[in-house]
Amino acid sequence: MSRSFKLFLCSFILGFSIFLVPQPSWAYPFWAQQKFENPREATGKIVCANCHVASMPTRAEVPQSVAADSVFKTVVEIPYKKDLQEIGADGSKVPLQVGAVVMLPDGFKLAPQERWTDEIKEETQGVYFTQYSEEQENIILVGPLPGDQNREIVFPVLSPDPTKDKNINFGKYSIHIGGNRGRGQVYPTGEKSNNNLFTATDSGTITSIKTNEDGTQIINLNNEEGESFTENLPAGTTLLIKEGDTIEKGAKLTEDPNVGGFGQLDKEIVLQSKARVIGMIIFFIGVGLSQIMLVLKKKQVEKVQAAEGI
Amino acid sequence: MSTLKKPDLSDTKLRAKLAKGMGHNYYGEPAWPNDLLYIFPVVILGTIACVVGLAVLDPAFLGDKANPFATPLEILPEWYLYPVFQILRVVPNKLLGIALQTLIPLGLMILPFIENVNKFANPFRRPVAMSLFLFGTVLTMYLGIGACLPIDKSLTLGLF
Repeated sequence: MSRSFKLFLCSFILGFSIFLVPQPSWAYPFWAQQKFENPREATGKIVCANCHVASMPTRAEVPQSVAADSVFKTVVEIPYKKDLQEIGADGSKVPLQVGAVVMLPDGFKLAPQERWTDEIKEETQGVYFTQYSEEQENIILVGPLPGDQNREIVFPVLSPDPTKDKNINFGKYSIHIGGNRGRGQVYPTGEKSNNNLFTATDSGTITSIKTNEDGTQIINLNNEEGESFTENLPAGTTLLIKEGDTIEKGAKLTEDPNVGGFGQLDKEIVLQSKARVIGMIIFFIGVGLSQIMLVLKKKQVEKVQAAEGI
Repeated sequence: MSTLKKPDLSDTKLRAKLAKGMGHNYYGEPAWPNDLLYIFPVVILGTIACVVGLAVLDPAFLGDKANPFATPLEILPEWYLYPVFQILRVVPNKLLGIALQTLIPLGLMILPFIENVNKFANPFRRPVAMSLFLFGTVLTMYLGIGACLPIDKSLTLGLF
């Protein structure tokens, strides 16, 4: 009896701590993983952009071509200004976090640890890679990570071997890359986060502004007909209005606190066959030799022409 | 060093041709076999080598599977249609855009008829035609580059 009670208590505390303690390690991409089987919509939009509405550039470096069964680096750069801070869910100022998703072509996957070079080990220190889902080894997620140390995220990738796997072919494939910095604007449930600009739902005069203990604010207003209504603001917002102000419908109530954003791009990579490259080089040597021979033959004929006259 | 054949000026037929500004193929380096048999294959082989190299090192890319129900985020036609696509994109009225696009083939069609208004062939003696041509070239490039940029930057090319 007491054992099962302890178990219950433990699991209760553990379960509850998930809500109390912020769990950045599996927080935000997790929502996309739950809702979308494939993180790239048919239009080409990566689903991160559903919540991270703000748009900012993301850059990536991918080799032009890779050999079969080799480890290479995909570098995702998520630039933002140094020491930038944003508001957290509780309204306090926090440094930005970054995250990235790399959608590799079929058959490509995260390189196993034993094949990482020392350079890769050093560059990926503190970065934890996860697969998007059990079946999709080719979609790799990273984040959220502290952005200040991880403005460049290195993904060690293992290319497939078409000679072993008949479903894979040599050729050119596209890599879809998304990179995000900062918190999103919308939760998956559709609610706005506090990292947002809030506007008035109706025009009216502000009668009072109340701040709750948790930092959320309630603004009481009277509209033109004298009916009272309220605007609820989450914690951490900076008000642009004060008591007694008369505001229009759609007027800004708060400053826009957002400093981050999501960006995506497509890159191309060639899965190259060594045999093809060797064949091409041999062909080039043959072409060069025959060109030289043709020119030499022409010179010889010219000598004959000079001797015989034309 | 290369073989050069002198023109046979005792040939009256050749002299008559030369007087008319023709007959230049009767002298100089002989085409056969010096050029056709020995240098043409050099060029042909070089071209084939370039094509093979590109095919191996940068193979053709198969894009996403076509899906008529999903419009891609950024739509762009083939590169040679960029300028006309840009006309369609920046003109607020679609009908007006189509009308402006129609002007391009129409303009090309009337070209042979107005070409001989100026009897000179020398471009420096055709100032109107030359300035129109240069303006058209610059406009086409401007529109083509603009088509590749987001719509808010497409008119200023993001420079201003």
